Amino acid sequence: MLNRRPLSYYLLSTFFTAFLLFLYGPMICVYLLSFQGPEGGMSFPMRGFSLVWFETLFSAQGRGVGDLHNSFFRSIRLGLIVALLTMLIGVAAGMSFRRKYPGSNFVFYSAIASMVVPGIFVGFGISLTLRLLGLRPDWWYSGIGAQLTWSLPFAMLIMFIILGRLDKSYEEAATDLGASSAQRFQYVILPLILPGVIGIIMAGFTSSYEESARAGLNIGTGNTMPMELTGLLGAATTPVMFAVGTLTTLFMFSIVIATLLVSGSIAKRRQLRLTAH
Amino acid sequence: MMSPRAASWLQATPFAIIMTGLVIVPLAMIFAVSFMDYGFAEIIPEFYLGNWTDIFRSDLAVATYATVLRQAFIVWGVTLLLGFTIAYYLIYHVRSNFWRAIFLAACAIPFWTSGPIRMISWVPLLGREGLVNQALTGLNLIDEPISWLLYSEFSVIVVYINMLTMAMVGPIANSMAKISPAVVQAARDQGATEWQVITEVIIPLIKPGIAVGTIFIVTAVMGDGFLVRAMSGNQVNTPAVAIMNEINAFQFPPAAAKSVVLLVVVMAFVGVLLRLVDIRKELAR
Amino acid sequence: MKIDTEFNAKNLVPDTEAGEPAEGTVNRFDVEMVAVSKSYDGGARAVDEISLRIPKASYCCLLGPSGCGKTTTLRMLAGHEDVTDGDVLIHDRNVTDALPAGRGTSMMFQSYALFPHLSALDNVAFSLKLKKVPKAERQARAMEFLKLVQMEELAHRMPAQLSGGQQQRVALARSLITRPKVLLLDEPLSALDPFLRVLMRSELKRIQTELGITFVHVTHSQEEALALSDMVVVMNNGKIMQAGTAREVFEKPSNTFVARFIGGHNVIEFEGRTVSVRADKCRIVEAVGGRNLPATITSIEYQGPLVRINLVTDDRKDLCAVISDTRFFADPPEVGEAVTFSWMPDDEWAFGA
Repeated sequence: MLNRRPLSYYLLSTFFTAFLLFLYGPMICVYLLSFQGPEGGMSFPMRGFSLVWFETLFSAQGRGVGDLHNSFFRSIRLGLIVALLTMLIGVAAGMSFRRKYPGSNFVFYSAIASMVVPGIFVGFGISLTLRLLGLRPDWWYSGIGAQLTWSLPFAMLIMFIILGRLDKSYEEAATDLGASSAQRFQYVILPLILPGVIGIIMAGFTSSYEESARAGLNIGTGNTMPMELTGLLGAATTPVMFAVGTLTTLFMFSIVIATLLVSGSIAKRRQLRLTAH
Repeated sequence: MMSPRAASWLQATPFAIIMTGLVIVPLAMIFAVSFMDYGFAEIIPEFYLGNWTDIFRSDLAVATYATVLRQAFIVWGVTLLLGFTIAYYLIYHVRSNFWRAIFLAACAIPFWTSGPIRMISWVPLLGREGLVNQALTGLNLIDEPISWLLYSEFSVIVVYINMLTMAMVGPIANSMAKISPAVVQAARDQGATEWQVITEVIIPLIKPGIAVGTIFIVTAVMGDGFLVRAMSGNQVNTPAVAIMNEINAFQFPPAAAKSVVLLVVVMAFVGVLLRLVDIRKELAR
Repeated sequence: MKIDTEFNAKNLVPDTEAGEPAEGTVNRFDVEMVAVSKSYDGGARAVDEISLRIPKASYCCLLGPSGCGKTTTLRMLAGHEDVTDGDVLIHDRNVTDALPAGRGTSMMFQSYALFPHLSALDNVAFSLKLKKVPKAERQARAMEFLKLVQMEELAHRMPAQLSGGQQQRVALARSLITRPKVLLLDEPLSALDPFLRVLMRSELKRIQTELGITFVHVTHSQEEALALSDMVVVMNNGKIMQAGTAREVFEKPSNTFVARFIGGHNVIEFEGRTVSVRADKCRIVEAVGGRNLPATITSIEYQGPLVRINLVTDDRKDLCAVISDTRFFADPPEVGEAVTFSWMPDDEWAFGA
């Protein structure tokens, strides 16, 4: 009956496993082949095991392959700034929906529009606008701006969903108890939405780190990571790209794990504070 | 003290400015530029209809649209089937929240690897010396490696499916999770088989999720040029690729005209789907 | 089979189906539970070896505080929860491992669980659609059941356009159209406002009598249980505390838990014995030849025809007396007043000891 799994459970479990294999297959190839021996190529079999492709990557003071080093740091810098701005502007916009106001539909649907309009059009449009205004694109304004059009809608929608589930009477109760609007946010709303805010920072960073369709034309001189990698794709004949893949994945892994640890410790501290009382 | 309405406006202003200045105005600019003349790497601000007449004179445009619509349709169909099945498994067959979270995380981890790397990761699988060809020759199913596995429309579609299925799983699973368990139990109580529960109750109730997922998939396929170029080895031409090629050749006004056409097609499609689902209500629930 | 009342109930009572006990066996009970237990993941038992027999065509209420196992018991009857140990019989057929739809039960959910994408009519016709009954026929049948619950006017509304009470009626019709031998109701009245609750209550009783099938109704309201039941089953901590007619349970509670939970009783330790005395048999004047306890009035609640007086004894035990308004206003006492709380020995109930 209920505890006995129906046949469909086993069929679907097999199906899901096959899907995971489809998702992971290529990635596992990347991780394995990045340790390919010096004579090996971009396909199996492995001809020995070596770190030679990682060494290539770091040879010549990090100028071993393309401009990867600088692109990487450019991407990190851009990602951090975009994440911070996304958090500030996105949370504020999400908070605006706590009340009904004329124009809220504009804010909501402009976010939806920005999400569904293919990125190259936004990027192309911004670059045309700059050109007609006689401005030269540069990463610190048009680059960041272009990426915000991608990260902000997600931030706003995450807040919209989270805040939509928060009872409005929390604020009313806080106001009744004499809280100012700043206190209301600090002591009532923020603790409740904190996991979402951390999620927004994460999403802001990763979306910037991965994004190139919008920023590509507006970043000025100097590629970001995805642009540099796309450029290197065509010329790739050795497993050195796989070494890049393994390293950048490890990097993302550590960021995600760090975020989880941070939010975990916040939750734990809150738990401790509760039990202490 | 500030009025609540003013407070909301103040909170939404930075967001609204960015959306207006960096999305709406630039899109309007594309429209404007599509009517301008051009020289080498420059835009001449004079009214010119040639960009538009060129589009309607070329058979190429029709062919590229046929290609991208075919791709979008195949990718949509496959991701819908995969996405529904996976979401159904995760919501209705995985009973513990812990394992559900683990499985979802497992689906997300491959996406932590950079997009271009994920594209090149198919070379060891689908290439001439790739694992698939090795396996097929090893099993004596084929005499020589299949060449159309990689750098072809086939590989373009496979990689789209690989990258986009989760975009369908998400909204569908979200819609499914909102169906009250009592409603499904009531259907069982009424004598519905598992299949009847799916067709009579679940599918009608997850239509909004399917619509949202469809928007994600179709806009992604229609608007992408990077993946097509990389995975087809520059052999498949879609409207987005054509636009990117013209942008790279600094021919902005014709690129703008083609962009307007593609944008109208994509947005008309999104508009139709949004009529079927009140997305604001759907998210607020 | 029951003789028709004014409504054409003959169409609405269950057919004799395959799986019915063979000719000659006597169908003595509609529902039988034999030492049924439920534990989750090997943990503590939510339901602990309960045995219960519900006679034919009864209105049975499972009554108890939240977490007592009454809803779990109901869901085990329905087949929405598997039985850890023991057997469940419906009309003398062992259905312990049967599917929810294959055991002759139908469940009405606390949240009503109407299909939000279907109109009231299509909701009721749902089970017939599953059986591929042609559209016209199934809609006609569904309409009949909507009439039974007086919802034919709103047949084409969507659930979201119906009030709580109306949704409930549709859910009832949807459950009844499967012609259940036993209808299971999970706190059916708890989401309604007090006025509707009383109205729906009599409606449920009317329909049960008309159809002549057994209803098993889970509730935490003793008032509801007493008003409806042919049989009341009081549960606590996964065990049955008492099962009997409403009057038995009220007049002869088998232990202090039942006496306290069913309400209207004082549980008093007096001269080394524990007894229960109905509050309406207690007075706040000295009784000649009766039992007397000094007490202080803590509060007075006016309830219309009756007045409830709460008191506390010198050793901090709570008591209560319910007297008629006439008697009360003849000489109204005041809060804080020291009085004598009294009852007659004949009104004591010593829990069967």
